[in-house]
Amino acid sequence: MPTTSASSITTPPLSSTTSDPILDRLASSDCEIKLKSIREVKNKIIGNRTKKLSYIKLGTVPVVASVLAEADANSDSGANLIVQSAAVLGSFACGVDAGVRAVLDTGVLPRLFNLLSAADEKVVDATARSLRMIYQSKLAPKCDFFLEKNREFLLSLLKNENENLTVLGASIVIHSCETSEEQNILCYAGVLEKIIGLLDGSLSQRDACLESLATILKNNPEAVSKFMAHHGGRALNSIIELTKDRYSRTRLLACLCLICVKNSSSCHLQDLGIKTKLVYILLELLDDPGQVGDEASLAFSSLIAEKEDLHKLAFEANAIDKFYCHLQKSSSNPRRLEGIFLALGDLCSKLECCRSRFLTLQVLSLVVDALVHDNADVRKAACICLRNSSRSIKNLSAGHFMNESIVIPLVQLLSDLSISVQVAALGALSNIVAGITPRKSVFIQCGGIKGLVQSTKSMDSSLRLNAVWALRNMVFHAEKTCTEAVFMELTASSIANLIHDPESSVQEQTLALVRNFVDGLIDFVEYAFAEDGIIFDAVVRRLRESSKAEIRIQGIYVLCNIASGNEFHKEAVMHQLFPEAEDGSDSFFNQCLQSNDSRLSTAAVWVIVNLTNPTSPGAFGRVVKLRNFGIVSRIKKMVNDPCMDVKLRARMALDQIPIGES
Amino acid sequence: MPVRVLESSTPSQVSGANSGQTSFQACTLLGAGQAFSGTQNVSSLQKDEAWRVNVRIQGCDLEHGYLCGTMEALNVPMADTPVVTFWEGEIVDAKNYTFFTGKWEATPDDDIRHWTKFSSFSPLQAQVEADGGKSLDLSNYPHIFMRWKEQYFVNVGTDCGLTIAGFYYVCFSCIDGSISGFYYDPNSSPFQKLELKSTNEGRLGFSFSSYELQ
Repeated sequence: MPTTSASSITTPPLSSTTSDPILDRLASSDCEIKLKSIREVKNKIIGNRTKKLSYIKLGTVPVVASVLAEADANSDSGANLIVQSAAVLGSFACGVDAGVRAVLDTGVLPRLFNLLSAADEKVVDATARSLRMIYQSKLAPKCDFFLEKNREFLLSLLKNENENLTVLGASIVIHSCETSEEQNILCYAGVLEKIIGLLDGSLSQRDACLESLATILKNNPEAVSKFMAHHGGRALNSIIELTKDRYSRTRLLACLCLICVKNSSSCHLQDLGIKTKLVYILLELLDDPGQVGDEASLAFSSLIAEKEDLHKLAFEANAIDKFYCHLQKSSSNPRRLEGIFLALGDLCSKLECCRSRFLTLQVLSLVVDALVHDNADVRKAACICLRNSSRSIKNLSAGHFMNESIVIPLVQLLSDLSISVQVAALGALSNIVAGITPRKSVFIQCGGIKGLVQSTKSMDSSLRLNAVWALRNMVFHAEKTCTEAVFMELTASSIANLIHDPESSVQEQTLALVRNFVDGLIDFVEYAFAEDGIIFDAVVRRLRESSKAEIRIQGIYVLCNIASGNEFHKEAVMHQLFPEAEDGSDSFFNQCLQSNDSRLSTAAVWVIVNLTNPTSPGAFGRVVKLRNFGIVSRIKKMVNDPCMDVKLRARMALDQIPIGES
Repeated sequence: MPVRVLESSTPSQVSGANSGQTSFQACTLLGAGQAFSGTQNVSSLQKDEAWRVNVRIQGCDLEHGYLCGTMEALNVPMADTPVVTFWEGEIVDAKNYTFFTGKWEATPDDDIRHWTKFSSFSPLQAQVEADGGKSLDLSNYPHIFMRWKEQYFVNVGTDCGLTIAGFYYVCFSCIDGSISGFYYDPNSSPFQKLELKSTNEGRLGFSFSSYELQ
């Protein structure tokens, strides 16, 4: 059996104070009375969630499970009891988590699986239907496909002539197959062949086939290769045909299947025709008012995510307008809203034309409204949509995003109960405050700086990273009042700590933040020397200790910016880079100068350009020292560097070194 | 006066672009945050006039041949304050954009007439006239050619009496960060020259900041 435990059925004693007389009759020893009672329960609860919950509270589920467990499948009366009990248990489990839990807690699952081999076809059908209801729930136990007996059982279901059994087999695959190892083992066990055989079956079988196929192929190039090698052409053509089926759910599942194949293959389904077809079908499926419409946008996202060519196709198909129309229809369905925001976010992730259309249609106001939605997934999706649509320096500069109606709810989300919502809000804010955007004061007045700084102190590294990132973007060419406000709130000691954060990505963003602090007016260089120079010391220490290029690039630019200051600043940099006691040949700075990463070597040469700036009084003395450390001869070699920027900066530095010194 | 170009800034794409071409190398002096200052000659037959101009790069996307920034014109006679505009640039890289504009009422002859005013264009001229410069490898050339098109006024209204209907042909020197440009607008005096130098804004050296959009 593909269940993980075979515990005995647990039946709590019926309370003598049960309020429903049906339950008293369930306890009767008379089969006819019991059967009638079970039918009554069934008729009361079918399609009625309130009644289901009410009867679950009364302890009905274990009683019914017990009836099913004790009934004799080989007798007529027993078979009838089993059929009705199975229907009741299935009904309790259908769409009600509490019902699924109650059924599973009774330990009846193994008995249900046993009954699949009963002689009586009605028993088999009823049991299979009941199990299908249970396996629609995330709470159902996962089947361990690594056990051969489970794979054999699964195959026996899939090749059975009984439709209920084949669909149950597919449901178990859909529910239990998650990892690539599980996908592969099912492929090699021959499960793919059996599932593909269901493509020619009934509606339920076709839908189950499509869904289970997608589950096995998703994100697994190896599984897709195997599928295409052995079944590809014919099966794929059948699935493409099913995208035109009259049932919307079948069309959706067919699209999902094709998307799985396309995304895991570099050569299949890559032609413009099929891409266009998928875009148009999914946009049309948005019109379905039910679950199909909810899922269509998520399918759309998985089709287009990260693929600029598909964004263009979708744009030309007026996808943004269509999603906007659906947003405007008052729909409180959180899943649908989440899907639409994620799809709009994907559409705006790369192309400026999509972002322009998004702004023109004023979708922004609807996205902003969703920032205060009850559902965390909707709030998160709205933040992601905002982040992607604000990924445009042109629109940021025009001030489309820096206003109170957007900033206030985003800042409030920094205290959201959900960490992932906080991270998503930080992502959106880090764009909105970026660049030389007008009116950053709006953000300050909304308490934005306090919120960001608070997030930099979080135990969660994603929050720290995104908060520092936002601060970095904010300080880029900010007005003096803004920079001062950030520095005062953050403090020098906090910055120094973040430079030594356990996460290198946080270190990198902090160094970039410091780089921005010390840019701009020459006075700003003093930020690095606040509190006895702890920031400056931390930067140098990080440079010495880290060999990561990204960290060194930011750190060297901090030194470069400091070295563009006055004599004191230049000498401070000299002292750290070229200490008297060392010969400097294997210093971190020499490593940067000689780096294969031209971004780093360019940054290092800029430090030298600044240190040898001839308008500075101490330049000559520094040139002598640089020559003694071998830097001048190193720079001379760099004039032939293959990277043009390195070459030109080296020449710039040498032009500043007096004749006779170079 | 039109505030901004209403049609989308569709690129003058190279048809059948050579996807194997080397991508543009960055020049640190042409990055976001970098500032330039100088003058824009706005002389006409009636008078000689020059405005002081400050330019700051706001964004740079070499892969798509795109950059943008602000331009601040000082001592503009009809304005009480400096006039700031937002502009977008196309980088001529033979991948995203060629030397031929293909829009903004600029003909290929207009293009050549303007590009030849930059001495650094001379070595490229023959190839550009032959095939539009498609086979040129500009990735290692120490000058970057661009078109800058002002999109909107940032701090004044469209009734300020100024026009941003035209665009600039621009040549940037990677050697020292200097910029020269010529404004083109069929309805304005021809060859109004823009001359800018990289500015250190009071520092004794070069300083670089950065931001990164998520």
